[in-house]
Amino acid sequence: MSGTISIARSDQETTVSIKGRFNFEMHSQFRAAYQEETTDKSRSRRFIIDLAGTEYIDSSALGMLLLLREEAGTNEADIEIANARPEIRKILETANFQRLFKIT
Amino acid sequence: MKILIVDDDRINSTILNRLLSREGHQVFSAEDGRTGVEMFASERPDLVLMDIRMPHMNGYEAARAIKQISSDRFVPVIFLTAVTDEEGLVQCIESGGDDFLTKPFNRIILQAKIEAMERIRRLHTELHKQKEQLEQHQERVQQELDISQHLFSNIVRAGNLLDAPCLRHLSVPMSQFNGDLLVASYNPAGGLHVMLGDFTGHGLSAAVGAMPLSELFYGMTAQGYSIGDLAEEMNAKLLSIMPTRMFCAACLLEVDARQQSLTVWNGGLPDVLLVDRRGQLQQRITSNHLPLGVRPFTPDDRKVSIFELRRESRLFLYSDGLTEATRSDEEMFGSERLERYFDGSVPPERLFDTILAALEHFRGDAQQTDDISILEIDCARLGEEPIGERLHRDRKHIPPTNWSLSFFFSPQLLQTVDPLPAIVNSVMNLQAPAGHRERIYTTLAELFSNALDHGLLGLDTRMKRTPEGFLRYYSQREERLAALDHGFIRLELTHIPQFDDKQQKIGGEMHIRIEDGGPGFDHRRVHSVLEGNTSHGGRGIALVRSLCSRLAYNEAGNCADVVYRWTL
Repeated sequence: MSGTISIARSDQETTVSIKGRFNFEMHSQFRAAYQEETTDKSRSRRFIIDLAGTEYIDSSALGMLLLLREEAGTNEADIEIANARPEIRKILETANFQRLFKIT
Repeated sequence: MKILIVDDDRINSTILNRLLSREGHQVFSAEDGRTGVEMFASERPDLVLMDIRMPHMNGYEAARAIKQISSDRFVPVIFLTAVTDEEGLVQCIESGGDDFLTKPFNRIILQAKIEAMERIRRLHTELHKQKEQLEQHQERVQQELDISQHLFSNIVRAGNLLDAPCLRHLSVPMSQFNGDLLVASYNPAGGLHVMLGDFTGHGLSAAVGAMPLSELFYGMTAQGYSIGDLAEEMNAKLLSIMPTRMFCAACLLEVDARQQSLTVWNGGLPDVLLVDRRGQLQQRITSNHLPLGVRPFTPDDRKVSIFELRRESRLFLYSDGLTEATRSDEEMFGSERLERYFDGSVPPERLFDTILAALEHFRGDAQQTDDISILEIDCARLGEEPIGERLHRDRKHIPPTNWSLSFFFSPQLLQTVDPLPAIVNSVMNLQAPAGHRERIYTTLAELFSNALDHGLLGLDTRMKRTPEGFLRYYSQREERLAALDHGFIRLELTHIPQFDDKQQKIGGEMHIRIEDGGPGFDHRRVHSVLEGNTSHGGRGIALVRSLCSRLAYNEAGNCADVVYRWTL
């Protein structure tokens, strides 16, 4: 059982919202969600990963965030991880992801 | 296509035979059930046309026998029926028939049925072939997995000290391969190194990353590297081999029983729990680094935290598989539930078992979703030697002996490598005076950098007094070293065992002579260097003086004699 992903795009920003379980089963969905934007290196883009509806996150999901960071990295896009619940925030902080992402 | 006709009615049989032969099929005829079964076995036809009422064995029995012989392949049996006898039709299907053909025969229908059966047969054959291939493949994969697992456990567990009396652990992989790496070993100074690593994901891909890390862990620990060094080296290794989305949350510990200190590097693992003699949580050691394999180390990433340990202290280290273990209603075990046991209500020596029992009770028969690891270190038992031959303590006891080593370093070598670790490793391998590695390293490092920086490169240590000078010193050092084209550093080490009144070996004396032959050598500057260092206190030559029993420079200032004493 995994979660669902929804995407909202504006001129500057792409918001990826993840509902339910954010785990390895989401890999291809998650990647597809941002790939279009990251292949266009000429435009800089902000990514917001909205975890408001995320119930669970595992280490593969952290790995996917790292992959996004790398693939979006060349155009200096910044990535914000927003609205994580306390338990999920704790997991992000244990991995010290606040050094790599803006956690709000 | 090979077709077998089983029919006692000669006219029918002949009509069918002609019809089919004209279509290009190879046709065989049998006149009763028994002969039909025999011919089926000898001719191996692809399709059977079967009459029902026949002497010696009726069509139903013959069909059953044929289906039994040909259980490994699909051979359609088409019954030849005269009537719309429903009872008879049901029996045809029950005895293994695949279709019927009603008399009198219509050529078109016969052709269509044979073609349809041929399609099914081909599909069946294809499916059967694929199933066989799949089974073979599965078997091969399983064999390879078994071999890999054997290699894996030998590499990861070689010299592992996990069965030392001071350690208790549980590591339950979710699949055949464990993505949690739990290793322990002693360093040359007798300190205990422990590492728990948790790779992204689980199973084979996670376990593959564990192999190079365990090798680095054992190798570097045995050579006396610090856990900060280990973390840095492991990080570099993982960066070079792992894809971006894989990393390893890890915690490295060094437990020093003599100094009663605990050194921790925690990158991404749950809090390490330090528990006091009443079984209460005394200190929570939170992850303050990124996991290994995420990005290259900065000097900050090497930083470790140091804590005081008491004899009664216990340490608990676990992977998130423990707190994220779920029961059937998806509720997680959780860190709160875990830490509830650390309120003093459970005697400390019962904590480990209590937690394991609680976890087992909580999970019930729910499926495991991640690798689970937990380790306890009981400081009271740190001094106890591990049992079992596999668990040798990687700390050599070499009685003091006579030996000497001589090194000569050309400018070309000095430009390419730092020879110090090699020198120190040689000494440790020959004599390994337990607990002296760091002191010997410091002594040699100071003497060596004096010879190189001041003797060969002519740098003035007074430059370092101001922040700008400090930077200038190092940029000048880099430039001059690159330009160095003559001179040398010679290092001679002579070890002499020491005896007590009863002629028992009690330790040794290491006589160190370091000599440099650099250009433009000015011995007055060396003396000022000495003074300069002394006035700063605790640095350079002053440090060597404090560690060694004798230090003297020659008149020219390019040769130092030092004596380092150690006792067993």
